[in-house]
Amino acid sequence: MAGMNRLPAPFGIWIDRTQRISFTFEGRQIEGFAGDNIASALLANGQTMISRSFKYHRPRSVLTMAGQDSNTLVQVGDEPNCLADKRRIEPGLKVEAQNYVGSFDDDKGRFTELVERFLPVGFYYKSFHEQKKSWRAWEPIIRAMAGLGKADLKADFHHSYYDKQYLFADVAVIGGGPAGMAAALSAADSGAEVILVDEGAEPGGSLNYARFNVDGTHGSLTCKELSVAIRTKRNIRVLSEAVCTGLFADNWLPVIQGNRLYKLRAKSVVVATGSIEQPAVFRNNDLPGIMFASAAQRLVRLYAVKPGNRAVILAANDDGYGAALEMLDAGIAVTAIVDLRVDVPMTEMAQAMRRAGVEIIAGHAIREAIAGPGKIRITGAIAAPIAGDGKLTDSGRSLECDLILMAVGYSPAAQLLHHAGTKFAYDTGSHMYRPDSLPAHVFAAGSVNQAYALDAALADGRRAGWLAARDAGHSGAAEPPAPTDLGSGGVTHPWPIFPHEKGMDFVDFDEDLKYKDLINGIADGFDNVELLKRYSTVGMGPSQGKHSAVAAVRIVARETGESLHRMSVTTQRPPYTPEKFGHMAGRVFEPERRTAMHHRHLELGAQMMPAGLWWRPAYYGPKSERDRAIREEVSAVRNNVGLIDVSTLGGLDVRGPDAAEFLNRMYTFAYAKQQIGRCRYVLMTDNAGVVTDDGVAVRFHDEHFYVTATTSGVDAVYRQMLWWNAQWRLDVDVANVTAAYAGVNIAGPKSREVLKRVCEGVDLSGQAFPYMGAAMAEVAGIPARIMRVGFVGELGYEVHVPASQGEALWDALMAAGGLESMRPFGVEAQRVLRLEKGHIIVSQDTDGLTSVWEADMAWAVAKTKPFFVGGRSAEIQAKKPLTRKLVGFTLANASDPCPEECHLVLKGEEIVGRVTSAVHSPSLNKVVGLAYVHPSDVEPGKQFDIKVDGGKRIKGLVTKYPFYDPDNKRQEM
Amino acid sequence: MLPALLPYKLLPYGFRRKYKPQRFIPKQKELKSSYDVVIIGGGGHALACAYYLARDHGITDVCILEKGYLAGGNTARNTAIIRSNYLTPEGVRFYEQSLKLYRDLSQDFDFNILYSERGHFTLAHTDAAVRTSRWRAEVNKQLGVDSELIYPDEIHRLCPHLNMSDHVRYPILGALYHPPGSIARHDAVAWGYARGATALGAEVHQQTPVTGIIIENGTVKGVETPRGRVYANKVMQAVAGSTSVVAKMAGFRLPIRTIPLQACVSVPLKPFLDQIIVSGSLHVYVSQSSRGELVMGGSTDPYGLYSTRSTLDFKEGLLGHMLELLPMLGEVKILRQWAGMADMTPDFSPVMGLTPVKNYYIDSGWGTWGFKATPVCGMTMAHTIANDSPHELIKPFYLDRFVEYAQVGEKGAASVGH
Amino acid sequence: MKVMNCPLNGPRNISEFAWGGEVKTMPDPSSLDDRAWGDWLFLENNEAGVVHEWWCHVPTSFWFIAERNTVTDEILKTYPAGELFKDRVNFAPKAEKK
Repeated sequence: MAGMNRLPAPFGIWIDRTQRISFTFEGRQIEGFAGDNIASALLANGQTMISRSFKYHRPRSVLTMAGQDSNTLVQVGDEPNCLADKRRIEPGLKVEAQNYVGSFDDDKGRFTELVERFLPVGFYYKSFHEQKKSWRAWEPIIRAMAGLGKADLKADFHHSYYDKQYLFADVAVIGGGPAGMAAALSAADSGAEVILVDEGAEPGGSLNYARFNVDGTHGSLTCKELSVAIRTKRNIRVLSEAVCTGLFADNWLPVIQGNRLYKLRAKSVVVATGSIEQPAVFRNNDLPGIMFASAAQRLVRLYAVKPGNRAVILAANDDGYGAALEMLDAGIAVTAIVDLRVDVPMTEMAQAMRRAGVEIIAGHAIREAIAGPGKIRITGAIAAPIAGDGKLTDSGRSLECDLILMAVGYSPAAQLLHHAGTKFAYDTGSHMYRPDSLPAHVFAAGSVNQAYALDAALADGRRAGWLAARDAGHSGAAEPPAPTDLGSGGVTHPWPIFPHEKGMDFVDFDEDLKYKDLINGIADGFDNVELLKRYSTVGMGPSQGKHSAVAAVRIVARETGESLHRMSVTTQRPPYTPEKFGHMAGRVFEPERRTAMHHRHLELGAQMMPAGLWWRPAYYGPKSERDRAIREEVSAVRNNVGLIDVSTLGGLDVRGPDAAEFLNRMYTFAYAKQQIGRCRYVLMTDNAGVVTDDGVAVRFHDEHFYVTATTSGVDAVYRQMLWWNAQWRLDVDVANVTAAYAGVNIAGPKSREVLKRVCEGVDLSGQAFPYMGAAMAEVAGIPARIMRVGFVGELGYEVHVPASQGEALWDALMAAGGLESMRPFGVEAQRVLRLEKGHIIVSQDTDGLTSVWEADMAWAVAKTKPFFVGGRSAEIQAKKPLTRKLVGFTLANASDPCPEECHLVLKGEEIVGRVTSAVHSPSLNKVVGLAYVHPSDVEPGKQFDIKVDGGKRIKGLVTKYPFYDPDNKRQEM
Repeated sequence: MLPALLPYKLLPYGFRRKYKPQRFIPKQKELKSSYDVVIIGGGGHALACAYYLARDHGITDVCILEKGYLAGGNTARNTAIIRSNYLTPEGVRFYEQSLKLYRDLSQDFDFNILYSERGHFTLAHTDAAVRTSRWRAEVNKQLGVDSELIYPDEIHRLCPHLNMSDHVRYPILGALYHPPGSIARHDAVAWGYARGATALGAEVHQQTPVTGIIIENGTVKGVETPRGRVYANKVMQAVAGSTSVVAKMAGFRLPIRTIPLQACVSVPLKPFLDQIIVSGSLHVYVSQSSRGELVMGGSTDPYGLYSTRSTLDFKEGLLGHMLELLPMLGEVKILRQWAGMADMTPDFSPVMGLTPVKNYYIDSGWGTWGFKATPVCGMTMAHTIANDSPHELIKPFYLDRFVEYAQVGEKGAASVGH
Repeated sequence: MKVMNCPLNGPRNISEFAWGGEVKTMPDPSSLDDRAWGDWLFLENNEAGVVHEWWCHVPTSFWFIAERNTVTDEILKTYPAGELFKDRVNFAPKAEKK
């Protein structure tokens, strides 16, 4: 039978008895059926204890059987805190219990209960700080006690596969119980495309297990009818065993099914998530064998598992009686029904109980459950008459049982409605918080909306489905009537709380909080439910207050005399039920950009480095030969010829009658008189005068400039340009052509010789094509934009071609450079070359506050223009004394080490600046760099202190830059 | 060693029959019609200010007006990281003083704020980030703060769980290591200040919003509340998330944008992550709390909002990157997410001190790091109020620094600055 | 995830858009003293309520204006910038100043 506690068919509608499945729990072999979850299989095999509680390590077992509590959290392989009452068993599954010291059965952690009196609410705040070293000693011990499951640290950096998919619907219905099914059908009837999300193996919700009439047929018949109807609707898609964990803005719904996260966008949503049974508070109310009536019914009906042999039902509503009938049918004796109500309504169910000879003890509550050895099961209950709210008389009678079913009330499973910002109001009739005003495009139906009676839930669902469809633009037939009698009265008891002088009367099972912990917290001044939550941790555990939040509100209200109407349960935040990191992460797509020549670089042995989203060659050669490679690349450019891929450089085409005026406004320099076929430096500042980007503007036509921008800056530059012109309305068009062009820079004394071989239609001679000249021509038959610019300070040409031709261009130039043994060079060599030449890199040699004056870029500011972005701020900055300025420097003592970038510049002990770039120049055989120094130290020849590694100070010597070829003869050859 | 360090303060609880409460928040009194000082806002900063006003300056006729519940704003929502490894000397000095105060706070309060030194790692995944890390480390060291740029081998030795692989999109190239980086129980800090301040005479009035500010001839005279007008000689606002709204009532504007900052925690795990890990490039930070929860967050939301709503995209982005750093956490679960409202300034430094209104003081612009400033902020604002002159440590954070082009540039260090 | 209606591209997830801050038209910088310029540049209304803001649809780099409630997170209206900025902005040449 795969377990000694199995019931025969027709019990167990979700299990398949033809398939046995073996798994292990704590190393013991357990056999269950396909369809079982871990908890049902364990209970079927008599393993009642499933977990140890957080603080006192008390045995815990099934509470909800619906994945809503933390009593069934287990470790499944590398997955900590797995819901045993949700997770289906699989062959070979390795399940372990959590949070025990020693062994699960003989958990040494349980002895904390013995010192419980010494651990009052918030005990960790109240002690361990007596001496400063006390906390150092105690903290690791207390820290080690925290937490439940274990992250698998040996998981070898791999986790399971997770992915994501988008879904769209007119109407999303969350919850496949009677109200949800009715809503889906009604919305579909109106013509809406519907997605029905349900947690169960089959839709039906409570119809699958609860008792709606005495013989128990009504639920299953209704379920069958609705299920058949749903199956025939082509416009309803059912997602089973799927959970919607949040309701975000504009109906954006995460739905988790298996290893997939669906992101569902729905025009309207029907929340039909039902309600959650609430526990009664009495001594030992947390032990195995004490569960919600709905949990026992789920066990019996869905999984054919007998939760016990002899039950006491603690009831305050008719559902308790339904559960009792179900237990009797399953062959479980019912000792008595202890009913909190003095006047028990003689419903059909109650009459049936009478007929069955079960004693109904009205006006009584359970004072305590009697724990068996090891507290792993109970042996009885003490019932006592209720003398007043929460007070029991001293008399009591003992009831034999190994099972106590609690049916004392509900709280709407309204988490999703909370996420969407729904307001709730306390309903005096039902003693529950009900949704008061719903957000736009969100509807509620069924017991989450107070429709408890089955007919009411169905009617409420039909109405909500119709409204949701209409909201999504699908008008159906006449609006279904709202239910007349919700049946919400008399299902929830207003005070099922019976504190015991000996304690262990739990309000919060997750956090092991007893009644007095809350009372004492309130006495400490935390008399607001949010404050009490933070102080006592009520509702902060894995089930997030699903079973404790309402009780906490009731207790605070009573203690403070505040009206429940003026209070609310603590804010419910997403997710509704815990989501795996893997679900949220999915496959993780990190975009990356490669230039047209990427594969050529790899073939040449380049070491690639990231530059924003791009990959660029850092240098060519093995890592072990990094320094030599860079040195040789530098040498090639200085003495021969080198080729660098500059495709990542930003490119912007600015066209139109106002093109020059536009650049005048965007950049600090002047462009109106720039000649066609000439390049000019561009420097951008923001409106606060901070240097943000630089590049070169090439004028190819009176109304056409081609402007370069930095690799990481171009997108922002482009966006800024469009933003400004959205206001200026200049007659200009800007296009970001970065990705449209591939580019190289061929640099070095022999670059002209090489380029000449493949270049047609332009005279490259120094006279015809001088430094800062530009032309459109053909290179290797490819239409190209050629610019004679030099970041590296040698004769050089930048050649930009359509990206599709980038590789061909590279190949042609490499072939053409064969005679001269042209070398490709990477970013590292370029950094050295540019620094020898004293060119700044924006964002390395500038920071988030650098002005043009501080960056020593006054030469790039046109002072007579009417306006440029940042100009007004630059004016103001110019009036203020400088606090730092960028200078070129070498070392006063050549034997000192090369400072690292960001080593500090000090004046005495005061930090006045920093080194922004520094390198040992192979061309000059000395250290050259750029640094911010005190304004009094900017004259060449001045010395300043640099604090290098180890705290040593060395002297920087302010030196005019360019360091290399100061007269710029080489680049102007 | 442990017996000598017996937590003897717990003994009375066990031996006494009846629980002896010690009220942290006194029962609310009638609101008086005037006080020496009114503090708008009842968060950590406000409570700390009231505490130091009373303790250090003898100013006890202080009224704290909180629109919701005590410390229920950003004090309740932050992720409780404490550090002083800032980029600017001004920032470093200020936060270093805060750390010093934090270290003694449990004994000051006779209340354990669970202050826990964990070590703080700011990972660098790009050359630029390595440079910024070195810059911060150098500034920190120059000012006596324990901070060091370390490289992959050392990172791996100290944080063995981090994925140091080269085969990820953004390999870890280095880290700024700040051993004093700590966490504390954020609520407890506020409660400790509340108890201390009220014991010395300050009053806390919850559920009492300020609806107007009374100003005569450019001098503040008091505030309006639904419970009546309250006069005061001096008024301070410390209302992160509502800063601009309250300042508007006082008639001035600020260089502040209010932007949500989100965070989340995992279901409790047995402790395994001892350090605080931050990655600016990946926009994530994570530490493990004393409850065993992984406390995680990232950068601020992409647009401004006066709302504490949560989003799914926050979690998707955050956890995608989290699994790049700690791939073994794929099966770990998120328990709860939430949001706070961060007041962001252009330079990522606070705005503190005097205002255009005489006798009206401001404590604002905390961006994402108000919690770690709580003690020093209380101390310096109390000094500022008592002397009508800004404390030396907060002078650089004056409001007019923007129009005077004298910003305190923390922004470069702070894409995710927790 | 909010949906934003781009005047050019229609309704898209808000993750496709970049926030540009409040619309505050730049005064002629030469007409303001330093203090007034700094105030305009740095101080924000940071309104809790309905605001007029710049937004950019990133994939198409299209800037437009949105009316948004910063308390309720509702987007009330979006429209092209041209509806607000109708005329070419000109700056007076420097020589004419003072």
